[in-house]
Amino acid sequence: MIELKELTKQFDDFTAVDHLSLTVETGEFFGLLGPNGAGKTTTISMMSTVLLPTSGEILVDGIKLDRKASEQKRKLSVITQEYSMRQDMNMKEVMEYQGRLYFLSRNEIRSRTEELLNFAGLWEYRNRTVRHLSGGMKRKLMICRALLIEPEILLLDEPTAGMDALSRRQMWNLLRKLNGKNMTIILTTHYMEEAQALCNRVALINRGTLQKLDTPDHLISELGAYAVDETAEDSLVSRYFHEREEAIQYLSKAGEHAALRATTLEDVFVECAGRKLV
Amino acid sequence: MGIITVLWEKWVEFRRDFYKITVASMISPLMYLIIFGMGIQTTSHGEPYLHFLIPGVVSMATMTGSFSAIAQNMSVQRLYEKALDQVMVSPTPLWQFILGQIIGGSLRGMYAGGVILLMTAPIRTDLIFNGMSVLILFLNGTVFSTIALVLSFLAKSYSDAPRYTSYIIMPMSFLCNTFFSTDQMPAGFRQVISLLPLSQTCSMVRSISNGEAPGTFGFCILFLYLLVFGFLSVLFIYRKKNL
Repeated sequence: MIELKELTKQFDDFTAVDHLSLTVETGEFFGLLGPNGAGKTTTISMMSTVLLPTSGEILVDGIKLDRKASEQKRKLSVITQEYSMRQDMNMKEVMEYQGRLYFLSRNEIRSRTEELLNFAGLWEYRNRTVRHLSGGMKRKLMICRALLIEPEILLLDEPTAGMDALSRRQMWNLLRKLNGKNMTIILTTHYMEEAQALCNRVALINRGTLQKLDTPDHLISELGAYAVDETAEDSLVSRYFHEREEAIQYLSKAGEHAALRATTLEDVFVECAGRKLV
Repeated sequence: MGIITVLWEKWVEFRRDFYKITVASMISPLMYLIIFGMGIQTTSHGEPYLHFLIPGVVSMATMTGSFSAIAQNMSVQRLYEKALDQVMVSPTPLWQFILGQIIGGSLRGMYAGGVILLMTAPIRTDLIFNGMSVLILFLNGTVFSTIALVLSFLAKSYSDAPRYTSYIIMPMSFLCNTFFSTDQMPAGFRQVISLLPLSQTCSMVRSISNGEAPGTFGFCILFLYLLVFGFLSVLFIYRKKNL
């Protein structure tokens, strides 16, 4: 279980995360959503101890997480938004370095590296240095690196950013499989359909503060499960209804440039972020 | 265990860039030896100037080798590659990571110094380099590795590393008992220069090479720098809010 208690991070006079409190249960698939600059990456960076909070604390299984907490850190693995790897190492060396940092035996490192790189379709490129890999390959390598240590908690910061549709679906399947093995997963993403498809619960944050925290289904039903989009000349306005009949009634009165559809998590996000689709 | 991991990482880097590292460590000292030692034929304290120069250049090579190995590498890892994040999130105790960097950096400096010694071996100088010289050069390397660590934690961009070399390494290279004796410097300035680590390393290595015992003051100065900058680098990696 991970608990964020009154977590705050300030950079000079800018507050990136503002008294954020939430709890992620063991085995949960948790989404951290928000617009650009909402504080998602800063929160993940604090959970990985790269950044230290200005105030507040993070507890992992009841014990405070800081840079000295080796036992707590052993449970964690992070896939960062940026390619945080030695560019001059080859894939095997990147994996071995990770294994050594987590005190795995040479045999464990060797066998799991082969297994994971084969699984990701990277084994034949194992001697290629990171700087000569494509963006997608680097992303896959980061996933392999994170999974090498068989973590209990996986922190993912925009893991599918820049991936093609097929790779993203493969990634979803992998994450579902890992979560099925009781791995706790905390995910930040810009793709709302990704959060809706994967997460048990999501937290919507904006300007560093928690706006909403619930299951995707509940957040959608709270807004209204039915949406009517009205297209004007230069804008799209959506209206939300709890009952289908209400939505159909509204639709019949609206002009021909209106359409009925199911409300999505993206609608909740847009409403919550106070933005209009232009 | 964490120390071995860092040394392994340094070994991977060294093995891959062996030729580049070797050539880079040779160029400047070789130039100094050729220009000052062989080109400008002169004497110092009644001895061929080369006898004075070699211990200074070897000491300087361990300084630049250690400093550049850590300063550039850590700045790039922290600010550009973000590879330091991998270490920060891992359970490897961070003090072990720091210690590994210090030892690894010093070994790189020792390698640079060793290359110079090998290059000058054919020249008959009768200079003595023994186990104590090796220990002093190793200590010198650890001092400059810790200084490099602290500066790379303070760096705001990876272009800061070359600037540190210009501000710190370059002046020390020329002023700290390397090419000429600090005895000829004005009082006051001489005292300040003598408190710098490279001055003491040059002085001690030169004493040994002339068959004299090195003074304990030099060891005290080097240990003091090592303690202060070692403490700061451990403090930064554990306590710096935004690494």
